[in-house]
Amino acid sequence: MKDFKLSRRTLLRGLGTLMALPVLEQMVPSVARAAEPGAAPRRLAVFYVPCGIYMPNWTPRGTGRDWALSPTLQPLAPVKDDVLVLSGLSHEPGRPDQFGHHAAGTGAFLSCVKIHKASHESDVRAGVSMDQIAARALRSHTRLPSLELGNDGGDGTGSCDANFSCAYARNIAWAAPTSPVAKDTHPRSVFDRLFAGFDPDATRAQLEKRKAYEQSILDFVREDAQALKQKLGTRDRRKLDEYFTSVRELELRVEALDQQAPTCSKGPRPENTEDVRQKTKVMCDLMVLAFQCDLTRVATFMLGNGRSDRVYDFLGLTSGHHTYSHHQHVPENHAALAKIDRWEVEQFSYLLQRMKSVQEGDATLLDNSLVYFGSEVADGNSHGHSDMPVLLAGRGGGTVTPGRHVRYGGKPVANLFISMLQSVGVNVNGFGDDGSAPLPNLKQ
Amino acid sequence: MDSRGWRMALAGAACALLLASCTNKESRAKETPTDPADPDQTPPECQGPRDPGRVTLHRLNRAEYDNTVRDLLGDTTRPSRDFPADDHGYGFDNNADVLSLGPLLMEKYSAAAEKLVEATWKQDASRTPPLVRVCAPDPADPLPCGRQILERFARRAWRRPVTSTEVDRLTGFLSLAKQQGDGFDAGMKLALRAVLLSPHFLYRVELDPHPASMEPHRLNDYELASRLSYFLWSSMPDEALLAAADAGALQTPEHLEQQVRRMLADPKAEALVDNFAGQWLYTRALDSFHPDPLLYPFDDGLREAMRQETQLVFREFLLGDHPARDLVDADFTYVNDTLAQHYGLPKPGTQEMRRVSLAGHPERSGLLGQGSILAVTSHPDRTSPVKRGLWVLEQLMCKAPPPPPPNVEGLPPAVDPKMSIKQRMARHRSDPTCSGCHSMMDPIGYGMENFNVVGAWRLKEEVSGAQVDPSGDLPGDVHFKDGVELRAILKADPELDVCIAQHLLAYGLGRGPMDADACTLRSVSKTAEARGGRLSDLILAITQSQSFTWRRGEAEDTNEGSAP
Repeated sequence: MKDFKLSRRTLLRGLGTLMALPVLEQMVPSVARAAEPGAAPRRLAVFYVPCGIYMPNWTPRGTGRDWALSPTLQPLAPVKDDVLVLSGLSHEPGRPDQFGHHAAGTGAFLSCVKIHKASHESDVRAGVSMDQIAARALRSHTRLPSLELGNDGGDGTGSCDANFSCAYARNIAWAAPTSPVAKDTHPRSVFDRLFAGFDPDATRAQLEKRKAYEQSILDFVREDAQALKQKLGTRDRRKLDEYFTSVRELELRVEALDQQAPTCSKGPRPENTEDVRQKTKVMCDLMVLAFQCDLTRVATFMLGNGRSDRVYDFLGLTSGHHTYSHHQHVPENHAALAKIDRWEVEQFSYLLQRMKSVQEGDATLLDNSLVYFGSEVADGNSHGHSDMPVLLAGRGGGTVTPGRHVRYGGKPVANLFISMLQSVGVNVNGFGDDGSAPLPNLKQ
Repeated sequence: MDSRGWRMALAGAACALLLASCTNKESRAKETPTDPADPDQTPPECQGPRDPGRVTLHRLNRAEYDNTVRDLLGDTTRPSRDFPADDHGYGFDNNADVLSLGPLLMEKYSAAAEKLVEATWKQDASRTPPLVRVCAPDPADPLPCGRQILERFARRAWRRPVTSTEVDRLTGFLSLAKQQGDGFDAGMKLALRAVLLSPHFLYRVELDPHPASMEPHRLNDYELASRLSYFLWSSMPDEALLAAADAGALQTPEHLEQQVRRMLADPKAEALVDNFAGQWLYTRALDSFHPDPLLYPFDDGLREAMRQETQLVFREFLLGDHPARDLVDADFTYVNDTLAQHYGLPKPGTQEMRRVSLAGHPERSGLLGQGSILAVTSHPDRTSPVKRGLWVLEQLMCKAPPPPPPNVEGLPPAVDPKMSIKQRMARHRSDPTCSGCHSMMDPIGYGMENFNVVGAWRLKEEVSGAQVDPSGDLPGDVHFKDGVELRAILKADPELDVCIAQHLLAYGLGRGPMDADACTLRSVSKTAEARGGRLSDLILAITQSQSFTWRRGEAEDTNEGSAP
């Protein structure tokens, strides 16, 4: 068991009503990282924003290392050298055969598989998402295979997008074509989950007993489910399979109770908030905390659900995001969208700066990560799926050379995902409907 | 107004206009499946035994979990606040097909179970009568008392009798705790947690004698008890309902009706207001409604009053003696001073919500005059005849037009602030790819144009300054001059009752409508009409229908798609 010292400053920063988790360098044993030189864990993170981007204000002038931040990308100034702007990538699988671009684009966002619009809303079929492939490959290293975060649950009225299932617009992480991975939308709940069962004072014997007890409960309910399954028809058995999978996941957490607990100190428990500004920051903080404590190596964050019509009143805007995104080439709408986009990029920049502030040996947490920024459509008015707004931040442990603007002539985003997966050690050469090879020119 | 004319007009529009311009196979699944010519005569396809359909293994949704632990353990902390949002299908978040159970939720269930059991065990010592500590264990042999507690608890939690083998397995936790050097309490708490994590608790289990057979069969008494209680209470059966199931007393229509009436009168039926009406009428969307503050003064007081207005009116319909179709033009509502002022009605002189007569204010009558519904079907900065018309078609007529054809969104020309709403909507008529559907939606919305974004009465549009024109022409040469005439048209349409029944059935069963439901819905609305046509009559007729009391299996299906 390691000792950690929390500085007074760190603790003070954790107090107060405007909850921000403290910067936690002090909480992580630097020795633990230093002890494994060259073996710093690599992480994948995804930052999703809804409704596309107003592209004229987004795309920077100049390419290669000689590029200038565009108005919308201005907030990235402090991390400009850590970001790759990838222009001209397309996301064709997100294009639906008929109306419903937001649901289709969001459902396919990380899976690059055209989602299924069945004869009824409750028949859900998408693809396995990039983050979940990474999570499966990296799962043995950490307590949680992945962390799914978001700001919005969903108010549950009406149809989500042209009779596409709501699951598509609300989830970017998919463990299987029929299994969206639900996201956590409450900061406290995320925190509790990260540190569930964590008891720094527990003795080994106590931990062993706890494991035995938890295990016995899981064994019991698994037997219940097994007996039940024998009596069910096809579709019900499939439903129950979710239960088995989830019990198995819980079991893995239980098994890891004693391994993971001592490597990190919790810090203060955040407050729940529905203020999108505070919530976004806390969610970013929690993502960084989870990486820093090596509780997971894969995380996704949805700033809003697909087709979000959030009213950004604090930006002086009165109409909803989705409504503005159908700008109809009206300059006022362009201006409103650019404001929202810029605010989103500010939040992304905050996340990157937090990751960059965490030292891991000779590098930073950001250096050891790849962080993908994107949306379900390019322009919200035309619902374009080519020339997507894509950023890739971090160095992926040396697999990517950021600080550049690279233009591609219509390569699929899926190819970028192949590169990202390879950078965390997942050996894939194809991905989704249109991914066929790694994306060239990510490293110089 | 000729109701048949309107109905035929809609049907006509669906056949001629929609199929010509907005053909969309998918959307038709949302419509009432068939439209027999004469509702008084049972059409041939509705004679003979009906297919009750099947309901997928149903995970408790968040509201159901909270209410169930409230009724089981007396816990009012609403543990589901930490759970991920439930997805919804067909407008309801209790749709069994889309209620999935992922690792995150399982962790939350596990954490909740531990917390609930700890709290219950601690408090129970001082509670009279005790919930779980119904006996004092003999220190020499605590097993008999443990068995008694667990049998009783599992029966309640699993909503059915438990076998002695099941109780044996549960008492195994007592031995385990003993092996680990812990006492009776530790073992019991483990067993109670296991009960709450078991699939028999988290899912509503209904079994088919032959899962691969399409042959319909009656639900057993306990399955039916659960269907009833989760429909009416979003919760588990109470002791009286379980006793009725024990006695086999749910198998006759009379006893069933007795139970339904008892349950509707119970305060727990408020769940229908929160979970059914909140989703059917969209009042749940009020939370995220943020109108443009410069154009439309609005605050949380008004928001809350609007929400309560709709809830109180719905509750009166649920418990009272009004025909369900009066929802469209009820001549009463509930307001407080704030809302009355907002509506231009006499103030009741209190901030409590009070029932007021709308005599002399027909423009405010019924759902179409309620701020909650007018608000959630508006844009933040302008009214939307399209959204309002769509709401009426989907929620009251079950005639959802198909979504716009590909890439049509974004086509309308830029909004010119000087143009009136009708001038802006003109494009919907002139463009043949749009006119089929919009000729149904837009005019209905016009009839609600005298209400602004926040549901206040207006004669002029805020931005254009144009005089509001609330008249409209529906397909089939049906003209109305204002919202009051529009209400009369809607109310006279027999589809209204069928549509309310369709929403109730989708909610009550937790599944989407299927073709075979068409006959059920016809007979449900006919039966209900014969009894007075109240909301409670519709509910009673649904609970007695074959769709509700029977189920069937399904043919083996070898589709891929199961979780890894």
